[in-house]
Amino acid sequence: MSAEGFLTISDLNAGYGDARVLHGVNLSVGRGEICAILGPNGAGKTTLMRALSGMVWVRGSIGFDGADLARRSPDTIARRGVAHVPEGRGTFMPLTVEENLRLGAFTRRGRGTVEADLERIYTYFPVLKTRLRQVAGSLSGGEQQMLAIGRALMSRPRLLLLDEPSLGLAPLVTRELFRIVRTVNEQERTTVVVVEQNAHLALGIAQQAHVLESGRIVLSGTADRILQDEKVVQSYLGYRV
Amino acid sequence: MSERTNERGAFANAGSEPPGEDRTREPAKAADTPPRAGTPSRGRVLAPALARVTPGRRGWIAVAALLAVACYLPFQLVPFRVFQFTMVMVYAVALLGLNLLVGHAGQISLGHGAFFAVGAYTTAIMLDRWDLPHLATLPIAAAVAFALGLAFGLPAVRLRGLYLALVTLAIAIFLVPLLKRFESVTGGSMGLTLAKPAPPAWTGLAEDQWLYFLTLAVAVLAFLLAYGLLRSRVGRALHAVRDNEAAAEVMGVRLPFYKTLAFAWSAMFAGAAGCAYTWVIGFVSPDSFVVTLSITMLAGIVIGGLGSFSGPLLGGLFVMFVPSISQDVNDAAPGVIFGLLIIVVMYVAPTGLAGLAGRVTRSTKNILRKE
Ligand SMILES: Nc1ncnc2c1ncn2[C@@H]1O[C@H](COP(=O)(O)OP(=O)(O)O)[C@@H](O)[C@H]1O
Ligand SMILES: [Mg+2]
Repeated sequence: MSAEGFLTISDLNAGYGDARVLHGVNLSVGRGEICAILGPNGAGKTTLMRALSGMVWVRGSIGFDGADLARRSPDTIARRGVAHVPEGRGTFMPLTVEENLRLGAFTRRGRGTVEADLERIYTYFPVLKTRLRQVAGSLSGGEQQMLAIGRALMSRPRLLLLDEPSLGLAPLVTRELFRIVRTVNEQERTTVVVVEQNAHLALGIAQQAHVLESGRIVLSGTADRILQDEKVVQSYLGYRV
Repeated sequence: MSERTNERGAFANAGSEPPGEDRTREPAKAADTPPRAGTPSRGRVLAPALARVTPGRRGWIAVAALLAVACYLPFQLVPFRVFQFTMVMVYAVALLGLNLLVGHAGQISLGHGAFFAVGAYTTAIMLDRWDLPHLATLPIAAAVAFALGLAFGLPAVRLRGLYLALVTLAIAIFLVPLLKRFESVTGGSMGLTLAKPAPPAWTGLAEDQWLYFLTLAVAVLAFLLAYGLLRSRVGRALHAVRDNEAAAEVMGVRLPFYKTLAFAWSAMFAGAAGCAYTWVIGFVSPDSFVVTLSITMLAGIVIGGLGSFSGPLLGGLFVMFVPSISQDVNDAAPGVIFGLLIIVVMYVAPTGLAGLAGRVTRSTKNILRKE
């Protein structure tokens, strides 16, 4: 297990206004690990990601590398090294690819390092380099997801939150994306929490996985174990692997 | 707009799923969708105008040509026309500020005229009481307006959409009674009459021409400043706030800080414009800054073209000429003509005149290419 607890969420409640969506979530992710969050629609996966980046109200604690992120503002959390790629990407449509990427480095100053980071992003996503002057709104879905991830990496995050990166993408594109996420994780030791409906893909790159249902964690374990347990996958995820 | 009126945390629609799309899709079925159909509607409409912060080589040539014409104009026109074009530039500077706030930062203000008035009155009082040289009043008027913009921006940035519109409108509404009250300083409803800057003998210019060139210098300075601002890291932050607040925030953009800053800057440009106004008119009174001025300015920048650099210029023409043209067309109800004109322009050119100009150029080019 991830005893190290780079990210340790304990007794986390979160929601919107009067509506509580998460009920006492506990989980822990080790430094440099990839952790998959699975679960049916409406389970609260997106809400969990938003709680981690300070976009919804939270109660409980979110330990992150020795600090508590609970009840901090989104920009403070971003400055602490958490990058959130939201569901639906959240790219800035009227801005160019380059402007989007530069915005990713917003929390850091210093010109030289930003240029170096741009080059670093292009090695992961060569296609972005050919689209620099294009507005993000004119990219394909896959390219936009790459842009969203590239933008997040521009901040040199210590924790990368990916919310359904495969949403609306062709299987081939999705597989490529996950391959890149794994490469990033290996090369930069970035800790990743990825929410996915496509359990097979997520479990393919993750070490740990948690199944969320109605705002509660109903199953946790190593990715291998959960992948093996076909019955579990079927009943919790609603389709065969 | 609706995206922005969401409460914090209502991130679900922020640049994400089109409303109709079913989230329970088969994992294997979905194809690599081209730009999503739902959300970009805003982005799509605004893209041509907003994406261009850098004008490109052709743009710079156009700017140079425009400047050349602007320098030539006052020697060809009668003084009254020169005065009118001077006022166009005054309004353009004010609209540059409003454009920053509305077009680039995605906020709204129905109180821009109030900051314009602050600049005008600051200048007038400085000239009236201390007899300062005209040029010295410009930075002071801009600074005072900037400070007031900060002061009003701080509480205003907590509000969105209609609430923000209402509060900024209130600023414009209480201003005039306030000016009338402090009679000893502001001259009350009588206003203040001031000396206009006199042309130095070596220039050989008439007064109207001198005022024109002074204002032109202010306008050029203001445009350069706005250009630099928008190309900087801060400009990108404003665009991010405009396009998707929630996404901007998770990237580390402190929303209240940048929104307040946008207010302060926009007020600063309005203040500088107000200063030039006092130079040019040589008279200020509460009646010069009624609420409709703020509304006309907002109409001007929306019609001129939000987020583009030609927008404030076209908007300046609009603010200067359309109310008086309306008066000529129908003396009894200029408001009706004015309103109708706004409706017609927005119908023909939903992205404003700047967008229309871009479309016309593009289609002309296409026609020329075909032949
Ligand atoms: N912006 C919001 N305001 C109020 N309730 C929301 C909002 N977004 C999601 N919810 C509710 O929270 C619950 C969990 O949603 P979500 O976290 O998006 O689930 P998932 O990502 O697992 O599909 C749902 O019942 C949903 O209706
Ligand atoms: Mg979700």
